[in-house]
Amino acid sequence: MGIKKKIKGYESCSGCGVCLLVCPLWRSTGSMAYTRKGRAKAMQGGVAPEDIASSIDACFMCGSCEPACPEGIDIVGMNLEQRRRLNESRSSYPAWYPKNEIHTSSRNSKLPQTNTILMAGRNLDGDIKIVENIVSLLGGDKSIAISDDDGRDIAAAVEAGLPVPPERIALFISLLRNAKNLIVSEGILHRQLREWLPAKKVMGIGEALLNIQSIRKALGPDDIFIVESRGYHSDFERLVKFYDRLRKDTGCLMNLDLQRIAIPTGASSLRGAHNRKTAGCSEHSAWILKGRKFKRIVVEDLSDIEVFQEITDVPVVHLSMIVK
Amino acid sequence: MQIPVIEPGCIPPDPVSPDSLKGIPRQQTNPARRSIENWKGFVEHLRSQSVLVREEKSESSVFVTDAGGLAFGLPHGVVRPNSAEDISKLLKAAQRFRVPVTVRGGGLTTEGESVAFGGILLDMSSLNKVLEIDTKAMTVRTQAGIFWHQLAEILRREGMDYLSAPLNLTASVGGTLGVGGIDVNSPRLGCSCDQAIELQVVTPTGDIMHCSETENPELFERVLLGYGQFGVITEAVLKIRKFSPLTMQYYYYASLTTAIEDLQMLSKADAADYAGILTILDRAITLLVAFDSDERQKDFEKKWKPKLRGHGEFGFGLLMAKYYLLRPWKIEEALYIVSRRFTLFPEFNRAEFMRDGKIIDRTVVFSRAVWKFWGGRQMVIPDLSAKAEKFAEAVERGNAVCRKYFKYYTLYCVGIKLKGNLPRYEMSCIPPDASDIAYGCEFEPMLRDTDYSRDYLQSFKNEIYDIGVDMGLSYYRFGGMMKGYIRSVFGDELVEKHLAMKKAADPAMILNPDVIF
Ligand code: SF4
Ligand code: SF4
Repeated sequence: MGIKKKIKGYESCSGCGVCLLVCPLWRSTGSMAYTRKGRAKAMQGGVAPEDIASSIDACFMCGSCEPACPEGIDIVGMNLEQRRRLNESRSSYPAWYPKNEIHTSSRNSKLPQTNTILMAGRNLDGDIKIVENIVSLLGGDKSIAISDDDGRDIAAAVEAGLPVPPERIALFISLLRNAKNLIVSEGILHRQLREWLPAKKVMGIGEALLNIQSIRKALGPDDIFIVESRGYHSDFERLVKFYDRLRKDTGCLMNLDLQRIAIPTGASSLRGAHNRKTAGCSEHSAWILKGRKFKRIVVEDLSDIEVFQEITDVPVVHLSMIVK
Repeated sequence: MQIPVIEPGCIPPDPVSPDSLKGIPRQQTNPARRSIENWKGFVEHLRSQSVLVREEKSESSVFVTDAGGLAFGLPHGVVRPNSAEDISKLLKAAQRFRVPVTVRGGGLTTEGESVAFGGILLDMSSLNKVLEIDTKAMTVRTQAGIFWHQLAEILRREGMDYLSAPLNLTASVGGTLGVGGIDVNSPRLGCSCDQAIELQVVTPTGDIMHCSETENPELFERVLLGYGQFGVITEAVLKIRKFSPLTMQYYYYASLTTAIEDLQMLSKADAADYAGILTILDRAITLLVAFDSDERQKDFEKKWKPKLRGHGEFGFGLLMAKYYLLRPWKIEEALYIVSRRFTLFPEFNRAEFMRDGKIIDRTVVFSRAVWKFWGGRQMVIPDLSAKAEKFAEAVERGNAVCRKYFKYYTLYCVGIKLKGNLPRYEMSCIPPDASDIAYGCEFEPMLRDTDYSRDYLQSFKNEIYDIGVDMGLSYYRFGGMMKGYIRSVFGDELVEKHLAMKKAADPAMILNPDVIF
């Protein structure tokens, strides 16, 4: 067993507030209590997770605050841990908590031996046209396999701070071992998969598609491309450079704001998926678009399409659909 | 006045002011939590006026300390106002029920000024809306609880920027206007409070007033740089400018005085858009200059660069190598400087802050770097501000105190352009004898990984502050628990004058108690 990296927790928080700069909840509530700083300071002040349950539940787990933190605190890990501790102390959960049980068997009966596996997840689920299009863009059935077991139950449990049995994780990753690249639409699974399968290249749908020249060429200065925030922040330093090159090559706008943080709409969070209105998704999306001039919105995360359609008349399309 | 020599860690009998303000010790201790006679009645009264007082520990514990991390206290309740009217109701009730009200923006005070030791903590961060951006008049009207970074983001979408703000952008606009607000461009653009064109203020007795240089000018001049004594700023109209990315250059010095002379030369001549000194101990002294435009940079390089006595990185590296090779017993210090140099400067050039070789997110760069390299759960940053002629001596003397107390520390020096001889500068961080440009220096020990006692830190601060008394200077952060110095620095007459104004404005003395009065 390797030496475990020392992870800094809430006790290391200096209270600098740099995480506020990028937090969508700080922007929308203006309440310190709903921020990572607020939770850390309250915990340092001796409160228990159940005393700050509304703040812990409100967090989108977008991960925007983590790259910003000068103390190098594992903020996403800390957020998840707080949810886990909160769950231990309560018997009823918010309405948006996942209802489905963790799967006990894998839905993958026969996964073809390919270099790349696509895990469509909740977000792409139900839009078979888009999934087929992605597969064909990425080289067709011979190059890429779609995993029926896309780990969506694990993603939901991780986000909600609910336990995932080790057997389930073992089952999930056992079928992925032969592939080199994992294309994963559930951003929250990226960091977990890197931990479980460190030799694999884990990427989001956006990065995978944007490596294709025809797609890059189809983006231009009239587009605003909406990067999925969780996967992006989990591999921030590398992806900052990747998207900088994209901006240079295509001139497109992006939801990468101050410090190249990807502003989330919140739509793909469990809270947002349950009720976009109470999660404030329109407000966050409106902020992404404010003051920017574009003729088309291109999204990486399918769940962002409807949110933008609600607030604007310009066409909103998934990245995979911008080329024929 | 003769200041006696003291040993580190020892708090000597007060050489400054046994009579400064009665009962205020020079030693930093938390004031006792105030007991409020009719707290329930007060809360009920406010509730009947639709002002919610939050009494849960989860609400108040967020505010248990400030950026200094040395003062700890909890309010009885927190109010998050929705409007100036809410604050008016609160202050009227506070006068009647004699409940202290501590106003908090970003909580970036270092001496406990924004920590409530009982009473109400007024959390201004709920008033965070930008109300109007006028790109013709080049002004922004904003609620004053907004943090500078929020304002910067909103202005940026319009291609605009604020003029100058504190390096740490998690400060609120209202809090900053109350204490000054110094940026690296302050030698050119002045402090943040001098950008204010108009304010909405709730007075300590609850009147909602508008003020500017022409409307209620006395209130305007009292509230700006007023350390929260004369009202709560709820809205501000500030000057703005067009946004531009910046380029930064560094010049390295081995002598503090030489670097200061060059800084003053550049500041006086308005040679760069940004200029300041940042040191690693007193060995690696960096003069930072930055430019908003290529033209300004070219002009600087032609006219001023040849006059600077600082070295380039390579030349300075050689100089340092020679110095430490001759002093091998100082190897630890040399290694510290090298490691600090190689971690700090790349931080200013991180890919996520840059675009096409220019810094586009200076707001974040500075906030993040300030905390990463100088921040921590405790911060001790005594400072001195002086007129140009006294500045180099003040810094050298403060540096000697730092050397005496700490292995590792940093100094940060910057100029502040004054806007004439304004009443707001009286009894403020602006030294009384300064004209045109005042200069400030922060003396910051690196506290990480070492536990110092509070007494030790206090002795250090006292020694720095004593320099101010001795040389007739002022302090940027003179509120909070070091207010005992105010009488010695400014004299009885001036302090009595301000105390009388405070008593007239705030009969029950409830607004921001213990900060100055
Ligand atoms: S994960 Fe996102 S929503 Fe949660 S505290 Fe961080 S920035 Fe805010
Ligand atoms: S950025 Fe990090 S250290 Fe600063 S307040 Fe947030 S969690 Fe704490």
